[in-house]
Amino acid sequence: MSAYHQMGHDSENLLWADGLDQFRGAILSPVNYGREKVAAQVLWSRQRSGFETIFDPQLYVPNSERGCLREWPYFPDDVDTADLASDSWWEGLLDSLVEVCTTIRPTAVCSPAVMPATYPDDYFARMVSIGDQLFTRLDGSGLQSVQTAVVGMPELATPDRPMAIASILSKSRTSHIYLVLVSRSEPRRELIEVEEIKGAMRLIAAMQAAGLEVTVGFSSSDVLLWKAAGASNCATGKFFNLRRFTRTRFEEPGGSGGGQLPYWFEESLMAFLRQSDVQRIMPMQLPVLEPSPNPFGLQILAQMAAEPDRAWLALAWRQFMFWFADVESRLDSAASTSGALLRNADSNWRTLDDADFFMEERRNDGGWIRPWRRAVAEFHVA
Amino acid sequence: MSTPTEVAQAFCAANGHQFIGPVGAGAFKETFHVILATGEPQALKVYQPGFSPERTSRELAAMQRCAHTNIGRLTSFAAFYFDGVQHLLSVEEFLSGGTLTSRLHRGLLSGPESLDLGVQLVGAIAHIASRELVHRDIKPDNILYRADGVTPVLVDFGLVRDLVRTSLTQTWLLRGPGTPLYAPPEQLRNEKALIDWRSDQFSLGVVVAFAAFGFHPYQDNGESFALTVEHVAERGQQSARFVGAATQSGMPFLIKMTAPWPVERFRTPESLLRAWGR
Repeated sequence: MSAYHQMGHDSENLLWADGLDQFRGAILSPVNYGREKVAAQVLWSRQRSGFETIFDPQLYVPNSERGCLREWPYFPDDVDTADLASDSWWEGLLDSLVEVCTTIRPTAVCSPAVMPATYPDDYFARMVSIGDQLFTRLDGSGLQSVQTAVVGMPELATPDRPMAIASILSKSRTSHIYLVLVSRSEPRRELIEVEEIKGAMRLIAAMQAAGLEVTVGFSSSDVLLWKAAGASNCATGKFFNLRRFTRTRFEEPGGSGGGQLPYWFEESLMAFLRQSDVQRIMPMQLPVLEPSPNPFGLQILAQMAAEPDRAWLALAWRQFMFWFADVESRLDSAASTSGALLRNADSNWRTLDDADFFMEERRNDGGWIRPWRRAVAEFHVA
Repeated sequence: MSTPTEVAQAFCAANGHQFIGPVGAGAFKETFHVILATGEPQALKVYQPGFSPERTSRELAAMQRCAHTNIGRLTSFAAFYFDGVQHLLSVEEFLSGGTLTSRLHRGLLSGPESLDLGVQLVGAIAHIASRELVHRDIKPDNILYRADGVTPVLVDFGLVRDLVRTSLTQTWLLRGPGTPLYAPPEQLRNEKALIDWRSDQFSLGVVVAFAAFGFHPYQDNGESFALTVEHVAERGQQSARFVGAATQSGMPFLIKMTAPWPVERFRTPESLLRAWGR
């Protein structure tokens, strides 16, 4: 249905950037902003008709990267040591979370969910129970509740596991699932495990078929996969810090921004490119399947031509986010299909390969495209 | 050791009720037809002494939480000492129209009769779900008719699961409680976290299929019930003849009700009620 902006480090200005108005809403981040800032973001969002704000309590964020989270009154000091099986502990947390949210008044509130060591049925059942308690507490408040589902990708490679997890999550009293897929992939690398991807697609498809609205958080170009599975919404933010949720991403040097190099997102290859790659690729005019003109891409190209040494990081974030919202919309309207986009990218990578064309980054070789094509094809066959 | 009949007779004598006779027996209790001192016909149930007091207490508590035309009404329950032993007894409404099992011995239900049975019992399981309960033993033996012969009533909450209380089923059990032929895969596999009102939805779908078509949704031609139960437990496919029969009979929602995974069934009681035209 729509794209959401996954708020991250220093990304407030993107909320009100001209040209990014295709985003339906924002997932608010208490890790990156304190209470006053988030309240201001909600207030600002009300000036845009239909723009939704979803508050994610982000309890699943590891200890080392909690940022502003500790300043929030709902965030328990003992989150790493408490008995998470204790009803009273969760009740205290929920009471406080509801108090905060009824003051800030976002459109919706995600249920608090912790990151488990493993993902047994009992974990999901417990998280649904917590979500149901939030649903009850928010009843009559005017705020919607959203069930958070933190799911390990390796878990989803096991046959039947996606359906079992979907069966438990669909017990939720809410009709909106916020899915956080936890990957073991290296930071900045695309997902390549076919069985894991297919499992995630099955999970999404099963929940959507049950009448649930699924919003996949922390998405990137893998939006193609989740939309092929039928996800209602996908959320993204500034690459690379938000494009995927992995435990290891927090181990990146610099943490918050993941480096400051600008990347161009190239749909014809479904890849992020460095400046030198962009300059070499553009003259090749690789076939592309009718994307909408990207105003930020045009600005970047103009700037590269006029001032090749001038930084374009801020424009790069916008160029990617514009593409994300645009492709999300095209996939929704069936103007494009994931299969066709990936087939085109695969063909273009073959062209580059035949021409001995190498990207600046050694592993930027399109190696994820065929696993993605296979996942989409096998998902549709199943 | 006194028999349940002796206990029932003694209870009636002590309270001025009239003992009529036995009407049925389960593994853990026997049921008798009695007429109370007020003249009202009732079903008197005598529980086996010492049988899981926790389960018995949950059964009675569950019945007290329900109030629906198509669910058996609990009138009272009492502890009764006889022959030096404490017995638990319950008094419930007496349903004189017989069981669905006995009705099916006379032949399959017609299309309109099957629809009517389903519509009424869908209302019952929706009500049970609204009380955070799962019956877990919906089968023709546990569906009785009122005297009018057309109002089905769901009885016997002996295996009820109270979703807001700790499960009484051990996780190490290979199979959870319930009657295998009518049980959904999650009950057969004792997947406790997957059990909710959608498990009752599955069982009801199987009951209606038996009543309307005479076979189980997963049963191929000539296949034994034991093999059918295995198919269900393995989450196999529904038989082609069932899919065809459900579609042709105007009850395609039976296919969704008896899907292998809970997530594939109707998610909410309201959506199930809508599918049945309520």
